[in-house]
Parts: sequence; C-alpha cells; structure tokens
Amino acid sequence: MGDPVTIPGVQHRLPTGLEVSFGPFDISRGQRLVLFGPNGSGKTTALRVLAGTMGSAGGPLHTAYLPQRPYMFRGSGRHNLTLGLSGREVEQAEDLARDLRIFDKLPEPAQRLSGGERQRLALARVLGSDADLVLLDEPLAAIDVRNRDIVTSAIAKGARNRVAVIVTHDRDVVATLADQVAVMVEGAVRQVGSVGEVFSLPSDNEVALAVGLGNVVSGVVVAADPPLVEVDVAGLRVWALGSQSPGSEVKVLFGAETVTVAADGQGLTSARNVWSGRLDAVRPMGRLVELLVDAGPQIAALITPGSLDALDLHEGGSVVLSLKATAARAVSVPGS
Amino acid sequence: MSFLGEVLSEALSVLANFGPELRKVLWLTLLVSGLATFIGVLLGVPFGLWLGLDRFRGRGLLLTLVNAGMGIPPVLAGLLLLLLLWSEGPLGSLGGLFTPWAMVAAQALLAIPIAAGLTAAAVRGLSSDAREQLDALGLSRPRRWWLAGVEMWPGVAAAIAAAFGRVVSEVGAVLVVGGNIKGETRVLTTAIVQEARQARFGAAVALGVILLLMAVIVNGAITWLQLREAADG
Repeated sequence: MGDPVTIPGVQHRLPTGLEVSFGPFDISRGQRLVLFGPNGSGKTTALRVLAGTMGSAGGPLHTAYLPQRPYMFRGSGRHNLTLGLSGREVEQAEDLARDLRIFDKLPEPAQRLSGGERQRLALARVLGSDADLVLLDEPLAAIDVRNRDIVTSAIAKGARNRVAVIVTHDRDVVATLADQVAVMVEGAVRQVGSVGEVFSLPSDNEVALAVGLGNVVSGVVVAADPPLVEVDVAGLRVWALGSQSPGSEVKVLFGAETVTVAADGQGLTSARNVWSGRLDAVRPMGRLVELLVDAGPQIAALITPGSLDALDLHEGGSVVLSLKATAARAVSVPGS
Repeated sequence: MSFLGEVLSEALSVLANFGPELRKVLWLTLLVSGLATFIGVLLGVPFGLWLGLDRFRGRGLLLTLVNAGMGIPPVLAGLLLLLLLWSEGPLGSLGGLFTPWAMVAAQALLAIPIAAGLTAAAVRGLSSDAREQLDALGLSRPRRWWLAGVEMWPGVAAAIAAAFGRVVSEVGAVLVVGGNIKGETRVLTTAIVQEARQARFGAAVALGVILLLMAVIVNGAITWLQLREAADG
C-alpha cells in the first residue's frame, strides 16, 4: 500500500442544529474510505466541507468533488468534461469517458444528457483530475443496473494512486468499493473499520440499525444457475442471487435475521444453503440475541431469546444454519 | 384637420425629409448612449457577478446600494458630474463639460448600477445544484464568473438591454452636463424637449418615434434571442 495520507477533520454546524463532525483520518494512498449512513446523518455535509463548497474553504489537499446531482453547464459534453482541467488531465478524463461509455456523447449538448449520462460524464471529469483527494457523493445513485460494473471499475481505477472518500447509503456500494467504512449516525462517525468488521460486528445498536445487515463474506463464484450463483467462501458453499460468471470475485451479503438456526439437521427445508458449524458466541442485541457461528467463515444469526431456550443451544455446541438463496446477494468486486 | 392629425402629418413629413441635422442627432445619441452602455456593462456586469456569486462581508450593504442606484434620478447624476467638471470643481481642469464625453460619463454612471443589479439578480437565479457544481469545479474567479454569466446569459442580456434603455431614454443627465448645444451635444431626448418647448410638436413627435423605434429594436432583438434559446432548451 501507498504512503499515509491524512483526510482533514470536519466540524460544521447546520442551520437545522445538526453538528457534523468527521475525521481526521489517516489512510494509505490508494485506499477508498466509504462514508455510510442513513439519510440526514450529515454525510453530504462532511463531504461538502472537505470539498470547500461549504463552510470555511481551503484544506491543504487538492480535491476533486462529484456532487450528488452533477450539473451540466451550457455547451457540449466535451466542454463540461474539461472544465477546470489541464492538458494532461483532459486526456485522462477522455480515457475515463471511454471506459464509462460516455465518449460518443461528448459532442452533444450536455444539458440534453440523461441523469445517468451526466453522472458518468461528471465522474470522468472528477477522476480525470490530478487531485490528491477524490470526493464522490452517491456516485452510483443515477446509474442504471447494466452500467454499475463499469462505473465501479472506473472508480477503482481512477482512485488508484490517491485517496477517495465515497458517500453512500447503499450497502452494495459499501461492499463493492470500501477498503474502510465509516458509519455516520446523527452527524458523528460511530464506527470505522473494514467492511466485514462493521457489518458483522457493529459497535452499538444505532450502527447495527444503520448497517441493517450482519453478514458480508468474500468468495469466488464457482457455478452459475441463473438467477443464482454458487460462491466458494473459505470452503463454505453459498448460493446467492447474482449474475457473475464463474471465477469472479464477489462479496455475499445477507442479513443476520434471515439465517434460520436448528440444533441438528432434522426437518425438511427448501433452503439451498444448509451449513453446519460450531456456536462460538451468544450476544444480546436489543430484544434479540445474536449467535456467531463458525461455519468456515463466521456467520451471524439473529434469533429471539425464546428460540435460544427452546433449541437448548450452548457455546461450543454444534448448530445447523439454513438460508434461502434469494435472501443473499452476490455483488461484484472491481478487478484489482 | 384636427390638432392631433396636423401634428401627425407634420411628424410624417419630418421623418420623410430625414436631413443631415436629424442624422447628426441620431448618430450622437447612438454614440453617447452606446458608449455609456459599453462602459456600464464593462464595469457593471463583473461587479454584478461578484455581488451575485461570491460571499463576503458587506455584500448585503453593497447590494442595497446598487439596487438604490438603479433608481437614482438622472438629473442628480448629471448634477453630480456638473459639480465635478465645473471649472472650479475637482475635475474642472479636464474641461470636459458640455462635450459628448461628459454626457457619456453621466450616462455610464446611470448604466453601471442597472447592469450590476440585474446581473447579480440573474446569477442569483442559478439553481443550488448549479451553484454547488460551480464551486466544486475549483475554477479561478474570472472563469467562475464567466461560466455563471454564460449560463444565465438571457438574464445578463436583459441587464444590458435595460441599461441601454435607461440611458438612451433619459434627458436630465445629458441636458445638465451636455447643454443641448445644436450640432454638438444635442441628442434625441434633449431635441424633443427643445422642439416641444418651442411648440414644434410635429418635429418632437418625429424624434419620439425614432427613439421608440430604437427601444423596440434593441429589446426585440434580446427577446428574440431569449425565445430562440427557450425553444432550443
């Protein structure tokens, strides 16, 4: 990994009274920090202050900022692509425009482009700049499904030699693009860590509510049976919704509450995924209890305290987990 | 023939016999007001872009002053310049009084706040998305102003048209500093005053028609451009 870069800290009070505070964070050059949280949590404000479009302007870093709704000025797509860029940056932006399949639209009046086309064009401009710090606000929000993979690949490529801060409320974007996740709730960063850490081990109830998930595991697609794929996760076979081809690296996401727990393999089930494992830990989680099961990878399951008693489960004992394939989602990881 | 009928037929005959004297008045009007508008736009539009786009201390006060300046009575602007240019005044040594240059200066004084105030209003109409994008691009200040001005050009064009309309139609300022000297500082508006005072109503109406035509042509051209733009967009 690259040399360390410090993302400056942000303190800003909104007219609504929300006090937004973020960072500073030390991160390696080449890493992507995803700022995740519910709507109204202050993510966009933090990004705007970093970009200097809000609050006291001017940090030490040269930033390039993609607003949530990029605006196209009068003139052609090319005019908009090159705004504020120097000669070398223009070439980089044009290459990215090709990758993002927007190059052919450059001669057209930019204000006639669709929302997704505007976002791809603006992304090519931002990633084409030589800025040290790239700030992207919901970069996939207006992107349709068939272009998601090219956009995530372009972000991964364009952010390679610098630091990117990406704001999103979309878990798939977190799973796809984050090296580090910072979860923001009510203006404050509550937890920072890897995707697996934050999603599987939320630090408190509010973070758990915000991430609303429980399981993010990495693996490789071994078979496809549309609309499902079979993924090898550290030896565990997981069926999930997905359209990736065999050999693709993916992350599989599913909620802890969708995992069914039994004491043994008795009883018929329609679930494609039936895994046995050892119960590692039992933790209270609000009105529920969370079971952490070693099934190869660690899997989290949420059940009621009543079920825990009825099943007579003990730490160290064996359990059988099942999960409908349609409750799990495989998302592509951009090629590194 | 009725009185008004007589005035009208006389006006028509003046227009039909468009002579060198009238041509000179028309030419001087276009020159003085055109130059004054040019100066007013050159100073007023960037000033308006600054007021409309940048955040700084005292901006509200400046905006208030500019808006007040849009309503300054022309005769007062003329009086101010008269005092400055009077032989014992601070700029008396320039000797510009009762020349077209003094008239240009007086009208420019009227054009600047109009150009600035309406330009500021135009760019303040940029959507919040456009403003954020404008800030996000990290452009130099003049490029930022230029981009915003081009984006809101129908409003900026209206500001320029309004500035020209204001100065070409005013009589107070040019009368005070120009003196309405025949063949030297007489423009359409001061000529109308002159003709009306001497009860040559036909000639006054003829000059009024020319003045009206100029206003219609300038504003018609701007409106046409704006409509064409709206149809494109």
